Amino acid sequence: MTTKNKTPDQVNEAELLDDSSSRRSFFKKSAVVGAAGFAVPAMTASMFSQMANAATNEKMAKHNVGPGELDEYYGFWSGGHSGEVRVLGLPSMRELMRIPVFNTESATGWNITNESKAILGEGSKFPNGDSHHPHMSMQDGRYDGKYVFINDKANTRVARIRCDIMKTDKIVNVPNAHAIHGLRVQKVPHTKYVFCNGEYEVPLPNDGSVLDDPSKYVSLFNAIDAEKMEMAWQVIVDGNLDNTDADYDGRFVASTSYNSEMGMNLGGMIAAERDHVVVFDVPAIEKAIAAGQYKVYNGVKVVDGRKAAGNNLTRYIPVPKSPHGMNTSPNGEYFVANGKLSPTVSVIAIKKLPQLFDNKIDPRDTIVAEPELGLGPLHTAFDNRGNAYTTVFIDSQIVKWNVEDAIKHYNGDKVNYIRQKLDVQYQPGHNHTTMGETRDADGKYLVALCKFSKDRFLPVGPLHAENDQLIDISGDEMKLIHDGPTFAEPHDCMIVHRSKMKPLKIWKRDDPFFAGTVAMAKKDGVTLETDNKVIRDGKKVRVYMTSVAPSFGMEKFEVNQGDEVTVVVTNLDMIEDVTHGFAMTNHGVSMEIGPQATSSVTFVADKPGVHWFYCHWFCHALHMEMRGRMLVKPA
Amino acid sequence: MMKQTIMTWLALVLSSLLWAQEYQVADADELRAALRIAVDGDSVRLSAGDYVGRFEIQSGIRIEGTPQTILDAQGEGNVLTVLADNVVIRNLTLRNWGRNLTDTNSGIKAVQVANLTIHNNRLNGPGFGIYLEQVIGAEVRANEITGNPEMRSADRGNGIHLISSQQVLVSDNRVRQTRDGLYIISSQHNELRNNRMTDLRFGVHYMYSHSNTVTGNYAANVDVGYALMSSQKLIIENNTAESCRDYGLLMNFINQSVFSGNEMNRVQADSDRAIAGDAGKALFIYNATGNVLHHNTFANSDLGIHLTAGSEGNQIYANNFINNRTQVKYVSSREQEWSLEGQGNYWSDYIGWDLDQDGLGDTAFEPNDGIDKLLWRYPEARVLMDSPAVRLLRWVQHNFPVLKSPGVKDSHPSLNPIGVSQ
Repeated sequence: MTTKNKTPDQVNEAELLDDSSSRRSFFKKSAVVGAAGFAVPAMTASMFSQMANAATNEKMAKHNVGPGELDEYYGFWSGGHSGEVRVLGLPSMRELMRIPVFNTESATGWNITNESKAILGEGSKFPNGDSHHPHMSMQDGRYDGKYVFINDKANTRVARIRCDIMKTDKIVNVPNAHAIHGLRVQKVPHTKYVFCNGEYEVPLPNDGSVLDDPSKYVSLFNAIDAEKMEMAWQVIVDGNLDNTDADYDGRFVASTSYNSEMGMNLGGMIAAERDHVVVFDVPAIEKAIAAGQYKVYNGVKVVDGRKAAGNNLTRYIPVPKSPHGMNTSPNGEYFVANGKLSPTVSVIAIKKLPQLFDNKIDPRDTIVAEPELGLGPLHTAFDNRGNAYTTVFIDSQIVKWNVEDAIKHYNGDKVNYIRQKLDVQYQPGHNHTTMGETRDADGKYLVALCKFSKDRFLPVGPLHAENDQLIDISGDEMKLIHDGPTFAEPHDCMIVHRSKMKPLKIWKRDDPFFAGTVAMAKKDGVTLETDNKVIRDGKKVRVYMTSVAPSFGMEKFEVNQGDEVTVVVTNLDMIEDVTHGFAMTNHGVSMEIGPQATSSVTFVADKPGVHWFYCHWFCHALHMEMRGRMLVKPA
Repeated sequence: MMKQTIMTWLALVLSSLLWAQEYQVADADELRAALRIAVDGDSVRLSAGDYVGRFEIQSGIRIEGTPQTILDAQGEGNVLTVLADNVVIRNLTLRNWGRNLTDTNSGIKAVQVANLTIHNNRLNGPGFGIYLEQVIGAEVRANEITGNPEMRSADRGNGIHLISSQQVLVSDNRVRQTRDGLYIISSQHNELRNNRMTDLRFGVHYMYSHSNTVTGNYAANVDVGYALMSSQKLIIENNTAESCRDYGLLMNFINQSVFSGNEMNRVQADSDRAIAGDAGKALFIYNATGNVLHHNTFANSDLGIHLTAGSEGNQIYANNFINNRTQVKYVSSREQEWSLEGQGNYWSDYIGWDLDQDGLGDTAFEPNDGIDKLLWRYPEARVLMDSPAVRLLRWVQHNFPVLKSPGVKDSHPSLNPIGVSQ
């Protein structure tokens, strides 16, 4: 057999819909049919195509965001191993912004500027990150528009993005744990803690005193103080930890564990018939900490939540093999653990958990439904009408099911809890509904983050885009309305209504983001808003300049070869969207300076001669002329 | 009574000093005693009767009963736990073991042993029937395993469960009313042959297991007949599935494998089409390449084959597609030819001529017309489907294809069903 793969120029959907040559040949054929004594069809192929097209266009119209129109929702997308976070508008799925977090980024100078390096701290030495789960801070189970938190699996960090400036403002290096995976916020009463899971198993402390003895390895559940962005406490657990979510009461957090076996290879990790969900009682943990029932490792208070510890900090609920996603229903009733290697999801009744912690019921008694949804259930999202939407990876579908019907079915009623199965392209991982992880779930849109695009887009070489698909869930039937190619590799997203967001248009001069630089200037006796000065401090030279489109406040400065030069630029423009840049030619230096912001960068002037610096963010008709010289005297 | 027990003990102890002893036991105490002292090579014969409790086999012995030998674990733990290599278990009736799936309660449970034989047993219980973990070399043949239909499917164990096990022959077993019939994960070089699996969730649930052979099995009244995932170099021959809800045969990430002589019949979702997207698929090929499929039959199902992108490069010829509501669903922008060296497939809906009388249609068959593809891409247009104009258009299109688009094409469709003999 031969498989003919058409080249892209041969493959054209327009061919299918409205191909003039086809139409011509169709009319020819229909003439033949007519001549043979049949009625000429009332509708031609092209008419059908046009009708199909029109029906589709009509369907799409209500989701269409025309030129100049604004989206209804902000979507925060993780950038996977690109290390960044992206902001999309929904339903247009237009990418609005990229926020560098754990990566090094050339345009904004992230991990190049002194301000970003201070935020990255010791993590500044890492050029990479792996961001998975962006989640926004909340007040009483509702998004407050303040922060988005994001994990770094690659280098065991958690970062916070300030949503007023849409920049990363804090990063915590999480000690003791290894590879932070699942992350969610405390929903109620407010986001005091960011909860996150150490996925991999390592000795505690991991200082080399234990190596190839997996019986001494542990995984850690972590609580980070969301306001201070410091470690609050950690809990040692049995098994590893995968995804996590919090309740709407402020008491429980639940995490999945796919390696309850503590296997060190694939065979070992998938051995057990059942793994578990571990539930954490947050007030009980706080009480144990207050009572001094902890040990300190690397400066963090660590409590023991293993079964053998026999305390009331955790409970373990057995669920079918290798669960993955953990999702709280927006009515606050259920934790849903997604089966992955089992075609089921396990619905845990949160209101039964206090009895479990009081040892009045068995762990499995907290399960109130275990519906069979399809092969490879990974994550579940919710609408505001009692329906759940689960991605099934192997079937490559979204399965819509009704939670209360699944509970009835579990209790023996002959009721079909499945509402619809929708093919998605291809193999979805996370999914997320509009406002679906808050009390404000509105059941309008669902995003399915598909891991493969295969043939959905023009081929661009062996590396393929992912495919983030937008689905209209407002009616009885889910409708796929958009394919969105994305670069490596959004794992998850969260979607917030625009009414919750209050981003700034222009920086405030007292923003803590560059307060360190302001303090340095003050020490040098420099007024950033007016001065253009060079301060020499031995071999260290600090160059302070302003910028107003289309010129820097300093047309040249002179240093000696080998000097460590710090350039501080303050953008005095007060006009929305007039961002300046500063790039020093041949020195690997570039940075963004937003309107009313101050940015700084330090480098060694190691090459004698003339070096032009220039504005690399377009700002003005005379942008090309916005440049100046660094004169480096030979040593 | 006491004296008799001591006498039995003495007899057992004395006889164990000889090579390859055979112990005849008649109750649970005697069985327990025999199991304690028997050494490699010995045999324990169980008379007809009830043996209540849980029993551990600690040496390489043969344990054999009669059709009336009944071992009952009284709802807890495993009936038989195999802890030694070279054990033979024959002709026992095992029942009423535990239902704790977390602890993998089983009729027969064997972990980290070699050369295990399990023949002609009858098992009936809630947890797993036969559970083998890290077993090298085993023959599981002609056992009859029944689960507990009163329990929720997800709470039952699997009939025969192989994990990280190799060189296991599973043949001629009958499994019904457990969760999945045969569950194979992370297990290589095994053969599943002539098993009969009915009234289950999945007949064969199969994952991450390379170089296995699955032949001559039968699955019916199941959600999925054969769910094969993430495996390479399989030989899947002469298996049958009928009356399945979701899939007859599912191939996900299955590569370099041969599928022939299989018959998938009546794979229909039971929802009266009330639930959108819920279709029974005789064969679902997903992200699977380099496979050969020939002499298979896909019949009387909602969908004959659902093939998706990423499943190119499979040789598909000499199969029968009979009376499926949709014969082929192929949503892709790439074209595939389904015939090999002039041999195509049989399509029950092919209307064509064979003027040269070579048994092959004179014109190529394309199972999906442009309208199908339009509908897959634009499901909104479904409302137009019932219009007579569209039906006429379809007919015209069928005979004078004008809506050309890439898809599946069979250049040499067979006029008659193709026998499964190769």
